[in-house]
Amino acid sequence: MSATWKQLFFQIQLLLVFCRHINTKTPGPTPPPLVPINLLPTDERSVVLKGESHTEKVELLNPVNLALECTWTGNQNKLPNITAFWTKDGDEIEDSHLTVQLENEQYNLKTVFNIVSEENLGNYSCVFGSEAKIDFVLAAPQIGEMRDKPIVSYVADSVVIACKMEETKPKPSSWKWFKANGTDKIFAGAESTRYKITNVEWKTKLEVFNLTEADSGLYYCGAVYPLSTTMGHVELKVISFFEPLKPFIAIVVEVIILVAAILLYERSRSKKDNTAENAMNNQTNTASQEENNGSEGSSSMRQRKV
Amino acid sequence: MPPAAATNLSYTPPDGGWGWAVVFSAFISIGFSYAFPKSLTIYFKEIQEYFSVSYSQIAWLSSVMLASMYAGGPVSSILVNRYGSRPVVMVGGVMVSAAMVLASFGSTIIHLYLCIGVIGGFGLAFNLQPALTIIGTYFQVKRPLANGLAMTGSPVVLFTLAPLNQFLFDSFGWRGSFLVLGSIVLNCCVAGALMRPVNKNAQPKRKIDPPKCNGAAAEEAGTADSSAQSGNLLTEENQNESRSHGFVHKFIDLSLFRHRGFLIYLIGNIVMFFGFFAPVVFLAPYAKHQGIDEYSAAFLLSIFALVDMFIRPATGLIGNTKWIRPRIQYFFSFAVSYNGVCHLLCPLANGYVGLVVYAIFFGLAFGMVSALLFEVLMDLVGAHRFSSAVGLVTIIECGPVLLGPPISGALVDIFGEYKYMYYACGVFMLVPGIFFFIMHYYNYKKLDEERRQIVAEMRTCEEAEQLKMTPNDSST
Repeated sequence: MSATWKQLFFQIQLLLVFCRHINTKTPGPTPPPLVPINLLPTDERSVVLKGESHTEKVELLNPVNLALECTWTGNQNKLPNITAFWTKDGDEIEDSHLTVQLENEQYNLKTVFNIVSEENLGNYSCVFGSEAKIDFVLAAPQIGEMRDKPIVSYVADSVVIACKMEETKPKPSSWKWFKANGTDKIFAGAESTRYKITNVEWKTKLEVFNLTEADSGLYYCGAVYPLSTTMGHVELKVISFFEPLKPFIAIVVEVIILVAAILLYERSRSKKDNTAENAMNNQTNTASQEENNGSEGSSSMRQRKV
Repeated sequence: MPPAAATNLSYTPPDGGWGWAVVFSAFISIGFSYAFPKSLTIYFKEIQEYFSVSYSQIAWLSSVMLASMYAGGPVSSILVNRYGSRPVVMVGGVMVSAAMVLASFGSTIIHLYLCIGVIGGFGLAFNLQPALTIIGTYFQVKRPLANGLAMTGSPVVLFTLAPLNQFLFDSFGWRGSFLVLGSIVLNCCVAGALMRPVNKNAQPKRKIDPPKCNGAAAEEAGTADSSAQSGNLLTEENQNESRSHGFVHKFIDLSLFRHRGFLIYLIGNIVMFFGFFAPVVFLAPYAKHQGIDEYSAAFLLSIFALVDMFIRPATGLIGNTKWIRPRIQYFFSFAVSYNGVCHLLCPLANGYVGLVVYAIFFGLAFGMVSALLFEVLMDLVGAHRFSSAVGLVTIIECGPVLLGPPISGALVDIFGEYKYMYYACGVFMLVPGIFFFIMHYYNYKKLDEERRQIVAEMRTCEEAEQLKMTPNDSST
């Protein structure tokens, strides 16, 4: 009787697993895998360590059976056996202690990890004794260059915030935008006319209309991949129009003062020159009149305007 | 004192004193005219995103501004001929300032084209021409030096504006930056205030009683090449000049198109400008194409600008020496040819060190040509026709200046590599250089012949006068 129940139970399980129409979201800390583990693709990464430590970045998009292989050339005292173990994010993985033999002057450790969800990503390290460590950083593709200085915009104006994934990396399946502390999701379209999100393959654009000073802060864009979402952030600063107006007015005042000073200086100097010139002109006129009496056809000092 | 081509001015330019303040004001005006359009490119990326336009549409902004600046040349010349430099520069400064302030409220890209492009460009044209013209009125003996110093404004202002613009952009975004730039550019009005019209009565030329010669010799002197040493035939000369001045006062001096030196300059410049600016535009992209990282490529431009900055006054000094000044056209021809050779040799430069060497030599070449560009025009046509000449030259040069970089870009796209573009630019500069050498040799010979002719005729006139006058003297 119990055997048939077990068989039925197993069949129902299979049915549930292979049926795609059923929502398999379950609350709980460790959701069961959607796809049976033996149907996952496999991938392999191996590192040969010659020194003391090394870090290798591994980009993962989809769930995979990942085999990580560490090879260490050893140090001066080549012990025949050495204990090695794996850590994840600094914490030792249970039941991962192994004794590794020295083969061809090298210690070799290879383990397969099932990467199926975001929690499986992280920093995996294989540690040989207490001397050598190789880190594998498992993560989704990271967003490359993000603007480190804040975007400045004005009250009642609109602003465009953009995020870009490098085209050499895989295309994200979608993009998400968050405000401030990473949990307030921004809804575009029907939910709010103030925001508009445009996604074009590797780029995403968030347009915010009718800004207010409350809109200042950090905006997070998330590139969604099957395994996890990578985030980038941009800071937005909303200021009022009086901010640039202050240096503007200061400089205009400076210009007016300088121009007035120069023109006044010139006028005061030309008054002095005029009186001196008049005196000089009288002298030369009398002198030249005597000269010109003798010769014919004189050209007087004609004022010529150019 | 190095004998220069004569001025036909009725006064001796001060060659100093307030002239140096005028050089400083010209430095600022010329600096803003050339550096302002280039420095605005920092804002392009954000404006492009804000208005959702393509890169080529935003690049049009620079082109429209440059085109307006060159097209506004004749208008500027007419105004300067009529009103003098000072009012025109001040109006120009106010125009650019208003353009930037209006642009900061812009809601479409067309709004920006009209404000910054058209109004701003015209305002800059009203700054450039008068600044160049007024130097010719204040300096004669030290004019190459004054020109060299004034043209140094371009790289210096660019050097200052580039980090300033970046700072403004980080603090205020593009709208606030345009507003503040509008006030900064108002300093051109301060420069304009310094451009006091030269006092022509202070030091009149020493008057020698003009011999009453037969009309033929006088007319030859009047209509001859204005750079001939016609010297002291004041009466007849004044009559001819007042006729041409009436013309100049109303319109622009189109009789320049019959002027030999002006035509040589114009033809050479038209070809030269096809290859003048393109290498500057493509220096950084060429470096990146060779695998050099972005910051080192930008550093190449800084090296180029720094060398340019120092070579301009140096060229002015050299041009002022007594060996070079009389034959300054050859110096200019050499500078243009040197540019051409520099570009032809560029593809041989390998790696970053090679490019640094090229940047240094190119900076030298570019600075030399820039410093002499307007000095030689002044030398050819004389200071009082210079205003019209520069207006005509800039509007005709508008075409090559605008077409040069796109043609070079097309060459790069077609062949996929930069060396053909550099060969083309090299040829575009070397051919005019050689053309200038040959034509100016011929021109100098002609000028010397004319001069000798006039001096000979004057001597015969004077002798005739002396014979007439001696009986008069003996009677009193």
